[in-house]
Amino acid sequence: MSPHSSFQYVLIIYLLWWGTRIRGCFRRWQQPLLRGPEWFFNVRVQPDFYTGTGRKILHRYWMRMFIPFVLDIPVALAAFLQGHLQAMFWLIAVQAGLIHLNHVYSVDMAERQARRFAMPEAEQPVAAVAFSLQPRRLRDYTNPKVEWALALASVVALLWLVRYYYAAPEHHNLRLVFGVPAFYLYMQVGLLLVKRVVVAWRTPVPQTQAAEHMEAREETRKFYLKMCDWNRAAAAAATLFWPIMLSTSEASFARLRTVWFAVWMATTVVSGIWIEVKRKQLLAMALRARPVKLPDLLHQSEIAKWPVCYQPSAPMLVLKGARGYSLNLANTLSYLGAAYLAGMVALFAFLRMGH
Amino acid sequence: MFLTINTDDPRPIYQQVADGIKELIAKGKLEEGAALPPVRQLAADLGVNLNTIATAYRELQKEGLITVKHGSGSVVASLTSTERSQDELLRPLRTALTQMVLAGLPSSKILSMAAHELRMVEKGSK
Repeated sequence: MSPHSSFQYVLIIYLLWWGTRIRGCFRRWQQPLLRGPEWFFNVRVQPDFYTGTGRKILHRYWMRMFIPFVLDIPVALAAFLQGHLQAMFWLIAVQAGLIHLNHVYSVDMAERQARRFAMPEAEQPVAAVAFSLQPRRLRDYTNPKVEWALALASVVALLWLVRYYYAAPEHHNLRLVFGVPAFYLYMQVGLLLVKRVVVAWRTPVPQTQAAEHMEAREETRKFYLKMCDWNRAAAAAATLFWPIMLSTSEASFARLRTVWFAVWMATTVVSGIWIEVKRKQLLAMALRARPVKLPDLLHQSEIAKWPVCYQPSAPMLVLKGARGYSLNLANTLSYLGAAYLAGMVALFAFLRMGH
Repeated sequence: MFLTINTDDPRPIYQQVADGIKELIAKGKLEEGAALPPVRQLAADLGVNLNTIATAYRELQKEGLITVKHGSGSVVASLTSTERSQDELLRPLRTALTQMVLAGLPSSKILSMAAHELRMVEKGSK
């Protein structure tokens, strides 16, 4: 493929990415006021909140939303100008994570600042907490047919690549043949880990409106699990596409790549529309359930004072302390996450060797 | 199916959890073989120490109401498999009646309250 064509493809992908980000920005911009003028996110505030300090808290939240953009634009410009187009995909992947983390941190900070101006009666924790007796396991949210299809796609791709490599091993580079599929398979493992975290996401609800709260939480959980499965399917499709691309003649390569790109764009647009529709439904559900303060039975504000903590008797992966969230290093999922990140670094180092 | 705990209730949380599950079993809402959530899930949802829920499950296991299989989780046991002496079964009734008498309730009122609660439990178990 010519450098000019590669540049065009990457630019189109980057512009599409900006389109989804702007849509996300509008959504996050309106979020503090969704429940009406008496609320700031999920904090019931005093009547003069938005005419006083509350206005500054709101503006600071809006400004923090642009942190990922400030980091993104100079890096993107440098990558385009210097022709490091591969770096753009890494930039998009890192930004996707950074935008979510920034949003969670920003909302938490804004709500903590607003709590000083909350209605006193709304800040009293409720006495009665409800919880579901329905077991939640990863297999309860797993579709066996989907898993078999993903596994089959990955196995077929690997067998094809093994055959391709051994057809002429002296002409083929091991890393070139297996590197990209290895990365996509590793990505699928990471998404399974994310699914485990989403399934374990705790769901305490107040006794009043317990059914509404639970429905909103459970539908949100299923939405994020579906997103994970869609990303796994995309990774499996990319894994299957790799041996097809390697085996195609140069004459057919350009056509094949155009078809692949068109399918990817169409899928992105359709899934984007579905995501927006689903988000609106989840929002309607969440707004039906009035937020209340739940009792802190584990005294998290005392035991979670730093960004990380070690609490073996606390079952949660993330504790909510007085100054923000704290990662519980005693939780198994934190070990698995650390091992996964270490494995990712090792994989990159291996793939970069010899380049 | 929800269970509720109340921080204003003088009973410890593990007791509220155990009593709540017992009530659901008695009413038939949790049938024999029904799976219970793992200790970790319940403790995380409530936001309590792991030992709190483990204590509740141990009490239920001791009374023969649930069976715990490590690796498979806990399930509701068969009610016919519980072997408890009459004295053991009368103990909580004696405690409740004592508290009602100490609260100054007349016998007729205590009897009608007991009959009403029994009807509610039997109605749930059908």
